[in-house]
Amino acid sequence: MSAHNRGTELDLSWISKIQVNHPAVLRRAEQIQARRTVKKEWQAAWLLKAVTFIDLTTLSGDDTSSNIQRLCYKAKYPIREDLLKALNMHDKGITTAAVCVYPARVCDAVKALKAAGCNIPVASVAAGFPAGQTHLKTRLEEIRLAVEDGATEIDVVINRSLVLTGQWEALYDEIRQFRKACGEAHLKTILATGELGTLTNVYKASMIAMMAGSDFIKTSTGKETVNATFPVAIVMLRAIRDFFWKTGNKEELGDEWLKPELFRIGASTLLSDIERQIYHHVTGRYAAYHDLPMS
Amino acid sequence: MAATRAGPRAREIFTSLEYGPVPESHACALAWLDTQDRCLGHYVNGKWLKPEHRNSVPCQDPITENLASCLQAQAEDVAAAVEAARMAFKGWSAHPGVVRAQHLTRLAEVIQKHQRLLWTLESLVTGRAVREVRDGDVQLAQQLLHYHAIQASTQEEALAGWEPMGVIGLILPPTFSFLEMMWRICPALAVGCTVVALVPPASPAPLLLAQLAGELGPFPGILNVLSGPASLVPILASQPGIRKVAFCGAPEEGRALRRSLAGECAELGLALGTESLLLLTDTADVDSAVEGVVDAAWSDRGPGGLRLLIQESVWDEAMRRLQERMGRLRSGRGLDGAVDMGARGAAACDLVQRFVREAQSQGAQVFQAGDVPSERPFYPPTLVSNLPPASPCAQVEVPWPVVVASPFRTAKEALLVANGTPRGGSASVWSERLGQALELGYGLQVGTVWINAHGLRDPSVPTGGCKESGCSWHGGPDGLYEYLRPSGTPARLSCLSKNLNYDTFGLAVPSTLPAGPEIGPSPAPPYGLFVGGRFQAPGARSSRPIRDSSGNLHGYVAEGGAKDIRGAVEAAHQAFPGWAGQSPGARAALLWALAAALERRKSTLASRLERQGAELKAAEAEVELSARRLRAWGARVQAQGHTLQVAGLRGPVLRLREPLGVLAVVCPDEWPLLAFVSLLAPALAYGNTVVMVPSAACPLLALEVCQDMATVFPAGLANVVTGDRDHLTRCLALHQDVQAMWYFGSAQGSQFVEWASAGNLKPVWASRGCPRAWDQEAEGAGPELGLRVARTKALWLPMGD
Repeated sequence: MSAHNRGTELDLSWISKIQVNHPAVLRRAEQIQARRTVKKEWQAAWLLKAVTFIDLTTLSGDDTSSNIQRLCYKAKYPIREDLLKALNMHDKGITTAAVCVYPARVCDAVKALKAAGCNIPVASVAAGFPAGQTHLKTRLEEIRLAVEDGATEIDVVINRSLVLTGQWEALYDEIRQFRKACGEAHLKTILATGELGTLTNVYKASMIAMMAGSDFIKTSTGKETVNATFPVAIVMLRAIRDFFWKTGNKEELGDEWLKPELFRIGASTLLSDIERQIYHHVTGRYAAYHDLPMS
Repeated sequence: MAATRAGPRAREIFTSLEYGPVPESHACALAWLDTQDRCLGHYVNGKWLKPEHRNSVPCQDPITENLASCLQAQAEDVAAAVEAARMAFKGWSAHPGVVRAQHLTRLAEVIQKHQRLLWTLESLVTGRAVREVRDGDVQLAQQLLHYHAIQASTQEEALAGWEPMGVIGLILPPTFSFLEMMWRICPALAVGCTVVALVPPASPAPLLLAQLAGELGPFPGILNVLSGPASLVPILASQPGIRKVAFCGAPEEGRALRRSLAGECAELGLALGTESLLLLTDTADVDSAVEGVVDAAWSDRGPGGLRLLIQESVWDEAMRRLQERMGRLRSGRGLDGAVDMGARGAAACDLVQRFVREAQSQGAQVFQAGDVPSERPFYPPTLVSNLPPASPCAQVEVPWPVVVASPFRTAKEALLVANGTPRGGSASVWSERLGQALELGYGLQVGTVWINAHGLRDPSVPTGGCKESGCSWHGGPDGLYEYLRPSGTPARLSCLSKNLNYDTFGLAVPSTLPAGPEIGPSPAPPYGLFVGGRFQAPGARSSRPIRDSSGNLHGYVAEGGAKDIRGAVEAAHQAFPGWAGQSPGARAALLWALAAALERRKSTLASRLERQGAELKAAEAEVELSARRLRAWGARVQAQGHTLQVAGLRGPVLRLREPLGVLAVVCPDEWPLLAFVSLLAPALAYGNTVVMVPSAACPLLALEVCQDMATVFPAGLANVVTGDRDHLTRCLALHQDVQAMWYFGSAQGSQFVEWASAGNLKPVWASRGCPRAWDQEAEGAGPELGLRVARTKALWLPMGD
């Protein structure tokens, strides 16, 4: 795992002058989808890369240890072995980036992964997921308990009301406290962009979250009415690039950002779509439902 | 499990995450070329025309793979095509609009069915990124046909009083998208014209389009496409059947064509140059503005280069983001689905290499980046900065794919810099402050302004330019009027006089001698040139006698000359910003005040008209009608411009009608009062300021009106210069700072005005010796005047938060 983001002092002048033009970003989002595409081996390789970015997730009320176990096994073996062999990728150790569960299921996941003999990190949502509308004290306690249970990544949701009312200092302080509660675990801050109102707010919230020391910023919980979209992704990526430019880091948001330590996709059904595509690439046929193991 | 078919490379790609080729199959384009035996002729009258004994040139893709050979047309092929279009015009224009609408819709459907052939052929030959052709051009081509089909179907009501011009000659530049042709043929065909398009050799997509249209059946000759060299341009333009020439291409070629077409039968519409402009202010979303630069110059959407003005306070930030973005651009074969830019052939490559070399030698910094093949004819995205404003490179048009960046300090300075070029095509303004964005948008002297966007297009939005970008329009209502003329006006005939000497026309003023004392009962007529709001003595300090209808001396008027014209134009320019900034209501109020003053002066005016031979009743009627004209234009100008709603865009597009600037008007000899007022009223109502040369036979009426204008109007609004008609015409037509000119007079004078207008490419309207019925509503105050008296600007205002 990479080092933590140490964060910076809160710098409000930095975010006060930011401008995000909504229609222009929408147009850019349309273009991105039309201007780049990969085919054949490139597609297969890129898809396998995408697998390594996935936080394989289950966040349901009916999660029990048995489906958590199945999920962990799928995280270890995300693509059928014979397909990987055909691509000469079987020895690359392709797994998903993490397994993501509710705090109460962290123990199950840690146990299952240990049994499978692998060190895939367990991520736990916390801090009043998904709405963030609980007391700060219980939110912090939730983080500490998840870390105690063995979660090494904590996905917190921010308090949207602070963004919508422009209380940037309070937001910064809260995330700072989350950061402290995480200890050695990675802090992944979910912005819930579907509830922030404007893209300008998305940019500002991203910037505050990074200043406060988030290791990742994530778009959404999957529980809002609008979740990850191209336009918000563009705005967040621009914010990340600006943050690194301004903190003197030389890195830019290019290929070097595409590694599991720095880039994640939170998903539950994406993996089976990818496996299906790889099956088609390798065999030239479309897979039946039962051709691929379930997660 | 089925047999595997994966290649060995996935492993490496997994680590490098590079992009691979995404080739689009162009087999269907090659198969189509095979149906022509790889030899393309011309498409005339619904048939392929492949005459013998013609030169042929190879048709290549930009990476010089030989695809086919193209026959070059000769003069007789041109004549055959024009004849076919002329025959087709009779049937096509006689049909009701609904029939034409159906035909255009069917053509749109045919394009939809064969779009893959169209986009692969276009991308293969031009080298433009296939994504842009497939998702942009081909879709827009269909939208254009649908939009114009609707216009055709409502033509009888919406465009009553107008009729199609006839056969249109369309001339396209060496590197162009077939879309440029669609923008022009759609309105022409919709209103009932037929088209002969002359495309440069080796451009098969227009031929394919003509074939698709021709095979539709009942109207084979409406679209004819010839491919041939530039030397055929004057031959096509001077064919007697051609009623209008629509030219798009390089400014210098347009200028030459303007000169060579002076006095010829065909009208001329010019669309020149390719450069665009982008204004980046310090309140902009800089990242989005950088994407605007990519759209404008490095995405194969726009045809040319970009002039980029960046506010000094965000210069470093903008340049850093721009350079970082350039590093991520990809260039490659146009038919690759994952490239931003293709290659455009050797000529474009030479042009840009020369430009960049010269810019460097003149002290500019050049930055190039991107994933670009190193061999010719690929050329990387190029950013030129620190180009000294006075260097020669800063004056010429920026070629593709170059962006020339320069700083500005304030919005006011940005306008000065942006308007300080002879070009007036399109521009975008990037600012999150509404007031600033509108200030810049209204202030830019260009045809199209996008606020916080660049390069948006739609069939219902007029697109065109001003200044030396040519003043022809395509799209929207303005595009339709390009191919229409008022019904019932006599056909435009050639007035070409081969022995007219442009060097000496109107150069010398014949000297005038005293013709005796002024006699008569009326008060002495006003004397002097009306310049800058008062009567002034002429520079020449001499006068010319004016005689009445019975040959007696009526009075003396001042003999104006070149210096007086200069002074009058200067005065008009000084008055222009104030007048154009007035609300239409305020302008109308002054016109109404002048109308009232005219009525008070009715008896004097009528008696002067009587001395020129009019009956008293007719003279009084002329005065009354003149006053009515002033009132009518004052009222009409209230309802100018409107808002368009465009598919796929949230927010309005404003179609503004802006004044031209300083308008020079040479009035006809007949109707000395009515014609003068009929021309003055619309010009002032729309916010222009004018320099007028009144009727040569009786300028005294105009001078009488000047006495009222002196009290009613601000100084300099209308300036009236009397004197030798040809001499004053010469001075005005050659004046580079006169924005438009109307000439009502002799055929020779018209020819001279058309020839001389090539200097600054001012729009001209010349009567060519044909009299107009100024007392009739249609000719004296018809919509044609309203059309010519202002220019359109499209202002795009995307919204969203």
